[in-house]
Amino acid sequence: MRVRLDEAKCVGHGRCYVLGPDVYEEDDAGHCVVRVSDVPRELEDQARAGEQNCPEGALEIEE
Amino acid sequence: MSGVIDEKTGEILLFHPEVARCPQPVYAELRSKCPVGRAQITASPVVSRFEDVVWALRHPEIFSSEMGEQMKLGNPRPMIPQQIDPPNQTRYRRLLDPLFSRKRMLELTPAVRRHANQLIDAFAGAGRCEFDEAFAIPLPCTAFLALFGLPASDLPTFLEMKDGIIRPHKFLDPPKDASLAEMAAHIDLQNAHRKKTADRMFTYFEEEIEKNASAHRDDLLGALLEAEMDGEKLTREELLDICFLLLIAGLDTVTATLGCNIAYLAANPEQRRRIVDQPKLIPGAVEELLRWETPVTAVPRIAKCDTTLRDFEIKKGEVVTFLIGAANTDDDHFKRAQDVDFERERNIHLAFGAGPHRCLGSHLARMELQVAMEEWHRRIPDYRIQAGETPMFSPGIREVMYLPLEWDV
Repeated sequence: MRVRLDEAKCVGHGRCYVLGPDVYEEDDAGHCVVRVSDVPRELEDQARAGEQNCPEGALEIEE
Repeated sequence: MSGVIDEKTGEILLFHPEVARCPQPVYAELRSKCPVGRAQITASPVVSRFEDVVWALRHPEIFSSEMGEQMKLGNPRPMIPQQIDPPNQTRYRRLLDPLFSRKRMLELTPAVRRHANQLIDAFAGAGRCEFDEAFAIPLPCTAFLALFGLPASDLPTFLEMKDGIIRPHKFLDPPKDASLAEMAAHIDLQNAHRKKTADRMFTYFEEEIEKNASAHRDDLLGALLEAEMDGEKLTREELLDICFLLLIAGLDTVTATLGCNIAYLAANPEQRRRIVDQPKLIPGAVEELLRWETPVTAVPRIAKCDTTLRDFEIKKGEVVTFLIGAANTDDDHFKRAQDVDFERERNIHLAFGAGPHRCLGSHLARMELQVAMEEWHRRIPDYRIQAGETPMFSPGIREVMYLPLEWDV
C-alpha cells in the first residue's frame, strides 16, 4: 500500500495524524506530513482511517 | 411538516424555534423539498445539501467571505482572517495556524482538566446545576483568557462583550407578536448594540496592546505582538482585527457544543452509558456529536458573481446561508446519517467548515471538548434533565441557554 498527499488540498484539519499517528504527523502549522508512504501491513488500518476521514480528500491510497 | 417552510410563500423560517430545538428533521425537510431556498425576512438563499455546501466552502472566488457591510457585527474593518479571502487570507493563516496547532493546544490540556474539576467541585455535592452557567460558559472562556495571557478576573467583562456582539438578544427583549416591520426595527437596535460593544472591545484590546508593546510574553498576545509577516510586524489595526475575531469565535462555540452534547446525552441514557463504560469512545463521540448537533448551524458567504445552484438563481452580491447542520446530516453523504454512532468509521463532517477557512480553533475546541467530556463523565456519570424542566436552545449558534441537570448524591 502507498499513500500520497496532495499538499495543495490540505488545510490542517488534522484528522489523519490523530487517527493514524504512525503513518501521518503534523508539521509546525498543523498540516499533514506523511511519515511512511510505503505502508507496512500492520499500519494499513491507520493509513486508511486517515485517508477516509480527510475532509478535503487530500490523501490518496494505492493498493 | 415542521412549519419551517412557509406554506404560502415557500420561504424558510430559519429562526423558527424548532430549528434550534430539534433541527435534524427540519434539515431533512429542507434537503428534500428545497435544497436551495430563500429565507424569510433576510431573503438570503439557503443551501442545505452536503455536496453543495462543501463545494461552496472550497470556492471562495465564487462564495466569498469578504462580507463588507453585509455582515454587521460592529467591526469597522473585516475580521482577520475570517472575513478575507485567499491569497491575502493565506498569509495570515501561515502566521496563525502554528499558534493554534494541535501540538500547541495539547499543551493546554492539564490546565483545562484542572479547571474542569474545579468547576465540578463547586456543584457535584449539590446534585444539581444549570449546566450552561455552571460549566459550559466558564470552562472555554477561562481557557481562552489563559491562552491569550489575560487575567481570569476579566471573565465577566469578556462574557458581556462577546454576548453583546453574538447574542444582543440577551440584552434587548424582542417585541412580542411583532410585525415584519417591527422585527426589522428590532434588528436595527441589535446592530446598534453590537456596534457599541465592538467599540468597547476595541478599546479593551487597544489598551492591552499598548501595555504590552515592549514586553516579551509567553502567550498568544505576546506571539501576535512579535509575529512578522513578510518581514514586517503586524500593524495595530491588524492586531485588533485578529483579536476581535478570536474573541468572537473562541468563546461561544465551545460553550454551545458542550451544551448540545450534554443535552443529547442526558436525553439518551443508553448512549451516555456507553461512554461512561468505555471512555476511549469519547473522541469518536465528540466527532459524532459535532456532526449530529452541529452547534454552528450555518455560515454566510457573499456571491461574487451571478450563479445557479440546483436551478436556483443566486445574484451577485447576495448573502448566501450555507446550512452546515443540514449538510452534516445528509443521507447522500453519510451512511446511516440519521443514526448517532460514536464508532462511525468515516466521519467527514463540516462542523469546522472546509476549504481555506477551516476553523482556526478546531484543535483547541476538540481538546476542550474531549477533556470536558472525560472529566464530566468520570465525576458525574449519571445525570438527567431536572424533572418537569425543558432545556432551552438559542437560534443561530445553538447554545443550550438553560440546561437544568440533576443527579443522585
